[in-house]
Amino acid sequence: MAVEDISVVRVRDVLLVTVPTHPDDATVSVLQEKVLEAMARHESKGLVLDISAVEIFDSFFARTVAETAQMVRLMGGQTVIAGMRPSVAITTTQLGLTLGEAFTALDVDRALDKLSEQSLGEL
Amino acid sequence: MAVADGGSIRIDSEGDIVSVRMSIRDAAKAIGFGVTEVTRIVTAASELTRNIYLYAGSGQVCWRRVHGPRTQGIELVFEDQGPGIEDVDQAMEKGYSTSGGLGLGLPGAKRLMDEMEIETEVGKGTVVTVRKWLRRR
Repeated sequence: MAVEDISVVRVRDVLLVTVPTHPDDATVSVLQEKVLEAMARHESKGLVLDISAVEIFDSFFARTVAETAQMVRLMGGQTVIAGMRPSVAITTTQLGLTLGEAFTALDVDRALDKLSEQSLGEL
Repeated sequence: MAVADGGSIRIDSEGDIVSVRMSIRDAAKAIGFGVTEVTRIVTAASELTRNIYLYAGSGQVCWRRVHGPRTQGIELVFEDQGPGIEDVDQAMEKGYSTSGGLGLGLPGAKRLMDEMEIETEVGKGTVVTVRKWLRRR
């Protein structure tokens, strides 16, 4: 799994990142850096992290995601984690992991809705 | 030898965590575990492999198919010659960590698996054995 495979796509005023199926720790760390750089570069109101391909969500991954959500928040944005698989949701809960300030959504479509609602709510 | 019967992987770098996950996933699937059980087993393996990388620097994981009285399962053995665990009871407490982590690795792995045994000696190393059994249908 090459680290360069992570791309941050800007869709209107939202950043979209699709996490690969088997991310190693380095990939997860690079993801965080790229997201924060993109947040600074574009005027984005938030981040959608699509984890629908991810089969394993362990404590390092969860911690990095929770940290990223907190950093995005500090930069004025919201994070929505989209598409967690049922097996991953079960395991994550049993492991005792939490995602901090991140919102969650069933899929990317609903995640984008959530971010629109959020920005409307702040008006 | 088929992947389900057993195998082992050296853990020397962070990248080995991904190799361990993939091999254990294939082995658990081949033994007959469903997707949720496979996810539990692989997540536990990921936590225990990361512990070796974090605390001991290197070590190895072995896995094999095991047979119980009425069912079969998978056994994973994580072995290192690292610093050992001073206080196992404390290490098993949720939220306790000496590495600045979340402190979920050991207690989390125990919850995800059916059985866990820890043998450790300070200055010598640690062996963590975990097992998961197939539910009879």
